[in-house]
Amino acid sequence: MSAAVAIAPSASASGARQKPGEPIVSVRGLTKIFKDFWGRPKARAVDNVDFEVRRGEVFGLLGPNGSGKTTTVKMLLGLLYPTRGHIEVFGHSPRHVKTKAKIGYLPEESYLYRFLDSHETLNFFGNLFDLPAAERKKRTEELLEMVGLSQVRTRVVGEFSKGMQRRIGLAQALINDPDLVILDEPTAGMDPIGCREIKDLILAMAGRGKTVILSSHLLSDVEDVCDRVVIYYGGRIQAMGTLKELLAKPDAVRITTPPLSRETMQQVLDTIRHDVAADKIEIDNPRQNLESYFLEVVRKARESLSETSGATSGSRVAPYLRGGAEAAPPSERILERLTVAAAQQSVEPIVAPKPVERVDEARLQSLAQSAAPLPAAAVAPEPVPAADLNKANEKLSSLLGKPNEK
Amino acid sequence: MKRILAIAGLTWKSAFRYRLFWILAALLAGAVVGLPLLLKDDGTAKGLVQILLTYTLSAVATLLGMATLWLSCGTLARDIEECQLQVVTVKPISRWQVWLGKWLGILGLNAMLLTLSGAAIFILLQWRAGHLPPDEQKVLRDEIFVARASIKEREPDLTPQIDRQVQQRITELEKTEPTELNKAEIRRQVTEEVKAASTGVPPGYGRLWVIDLHTLPERTQNEAFQVRVKFHASDPNPEATYDTYWVVGPPESQRVAKIRQVLPPDSFQEFQVPPHLLDEKGRLVIDFYNANNASLMFPIEDGFELLYYENSFGVNFIRGMMIILCWLALLAAIGLAAASQLTFPVAAFACMAIMLMGLSSGTIQTVVEQGTITSYDSAAGSFGHSPLDLILVPVFHGSLKIIQLVESFSPIDFLSTGRSITWTMLGLAVAQIVLLLAGIFGAIGIILFSRRELATAQGNS
Repeated sequence: MSAAVAIAPSASASGARQKPGEPIVSVRGLTKIFKDFWGRPKARAVDNVDFEVRRGEVFGLLGPNGSGKTTTVKMLLGLLYPTRGHIEVFGHSPRHVKTKAKIGYLPEESYLYRFLDSHETLNFFGNLFDLPAAERKKRTEELLEMVGLSQVRTRVVGEFSKGMQRRIGLAQALINDPDLVILDEPTAGMDPIGCREIKDLILAMAGRGKTVILSSHLLSDVEDVCDRVVIYYGGRIQAMGTLKELLAKPDAVRITTPPLSRETMQQVLDTIRHDVAADKIEIDNPRQNLESYFLEVVRKARESLSETSGATSGSRVAPYLRGGAEAAPPSERILERLTVAAAQQSVEPIVAPKPVERVDEARLQSLAQSAAPLPAAAVAPEPVPAADLNKANEKLSSLLGKPNEK
Repeated sequence: MKRILAIAGLTWKSAFRYRLFWILAALLAGAVVGLPLLLKDDGTAKGLVQILLTYTLSAVATLLGMATLWLSCGTLARDIEECQLQVVTVKPISRWQVWLGKWLGILGLNAMLLTLSGAAIFILLQWRAGHLPPDEQKVLRDEIFVARASIKEREPDLTPQIDRQVQQRITELEKTEPTELNKAEIRRQVTEEVKAASTGVPPGYGRLWVIDLHTLPERTQNEAFQVRVKFHASDPNPEATYDTYWVVGPPESQRVAKIRQVLPPDSFQEFQVPPHLLDEKGRLVIDFYNANNASLMFPIEDGFELLYYENSFGVNFIRGMMIILCWLALLAAIGLAAASQLTFPVAAFACMAIMLMGLSSGTIQTVVEQGTITSYDSAAGSFGHSPLDLILVPVFHGSLKIIQLVESFSPIDFLSTGRSITWTMLGLAVAQIVLLLAGIFGAIGIILFSRRELATAQGNS
């Protein structure tokens, strides 16, 4: 049986990325208890946490607000000190200064100097990495272009909208072309286009063998990009594993095909009914997600938009971040392909999702006789070569501009 | 170094973008240009210039000092509270580099403002002096617009005399009041009496000063000297002036100068002695005769000194500014050290407390000298005692030692009296104020800052 499992972008991406290597981050028995002025325990923010993050992984820290994600991130960065337990980042203490040259960090808020403009901000952080002037200038230009702030480079950060601040925050996190990127709620305050850009950027970096730690309470963010996640609650890890391990339903199978004739459909169902009771079989039309639909609507709207005083759509991933990923033709790039697929779908008004029906003849009839072709996005992608994901960077160029939100 | 300079540059930009620099510059300009319009002088060109120098430099130092404390507390404490340092310290920069960068940034800002205001004061003074009559200009050139070194007579060791008299007094008192002897108080009284006796010149008596100048360059030895004196009179009339007679030159030789000066008490007065009056050993002998009806007392510390040309006023002025910069460097270190651990308002409050303590050195010195915080009991004829003395007197003693390390340099006083601020003095100021004291505060600040968990602050930007 040529069953094709419907593939989420992250699943395909992770499947194609190079296999995770040696541990980059190692956390054992990590506990953080906040104390009051008199040293009395006030809150146990993180409680006996163990995990490892390996090279090339996109690792998600998932959990509700106050569950300990940000506290964990800040201990990884040496901004908070563990009450108990042990942390190693690149084999050193989180407070080891030289190690920090390999790390990029986007905090949950863009804690940047409000009196600096975006160009000065990147130049300042470039200086902290001791980058030569020419390299600093080059990276600054490329990053500003990438995050769509090149037109507002002389506006001070204090005048930026929250989304623009996130963009410049992201740019500062990447100024050193880091091996480990720690992103705390990276899509907070971003519009859907910005969210998509960031997620695609994460995938592009992971494709280059970078390690990404993503802390978020937005399940879709994590699901779209992460290879492996831990789920926090009350400062403890409640679940940990790959998305496949955590999300797969081993007792069910989904088959997705182009439209079939009534006869073929009937034959398939008959075959299945030999082994499975009729009330266990579900049939429906695959749907694109809201994000893809939104992006397509905006793409069309963009054609009539001339200029904006806010952030423009991010351009391609900064060349210095792409490394050797330029070689493959754009047509083979998976993210490009995903976007194109989204664009090919009809843009009929979205209707509220109907409950999934059990198989009945009428439903089968309607599916089999449907005159309109099913959306292209429903077609399961072919297995993606590993090299393709390394070229995912080009995706940003296909994304669309947005009006200034300021 | 690039990282440290990046932080220093950031501190500069912050001061400029938040307009602190421009506000400070405007205030300093007001102090330099506006203050002279409000000041009243004694009618002499020398008095006017002395007052101008003293008040404008004091105003500049005070304004910059307060701004330095404010800026140093704010730049670090606010960066921590508003979480910007969370993004900075996750980059490959050590905490000490962040701290040092901020200190250097504040220091650079102060150096710039001090240079601008110092230059303005210098130019204004020269401009005003240029419009004075030639004889007054000469006085200014001789006594103010000059860097004169100072030589004093070696202070006599009065300890044996004090010991002897204390013992004698105790023996006498033991016979009359054996149970109520306060030996510390007796010693204090005797010390004052001996000092007064050694500095006093009764009516009709004289006093001889012998100043050894053989170590000076020969050219200097053959120049005219300025004598700078200050005396107190036993006559309570503050309006009185006193006839003073001075014979300068080798005793029993024809090569002497006889000088008569009518001088007021309780203030520094200067007069010139002619050149070529040193004896064959390179000593200058000055014989004073008191022809008044009141005793005149020349304090050991500053009653008599000999001044001679050492350098130009411009060089002296620059050295003076550099000592003020040393003070500001210390204040910046204090502010940053406080902000390394405390929130902005608390750090600012702590700094104000330290500054107030520094300005109260007179009170502290009195407590240390009297050995108690209680006041004088006129009925008992001595000072009382408090249990707090056990703690406060040693604390005050230590504080005074520290304050004296800073206050032992008085560039404003030196500049307004045309006295030389030597390179040695400047070097000592750098060593004591910057390397030692600012270094101690810096070490404390850096340790506190390095140990601090920066992410416990709640962002409020």
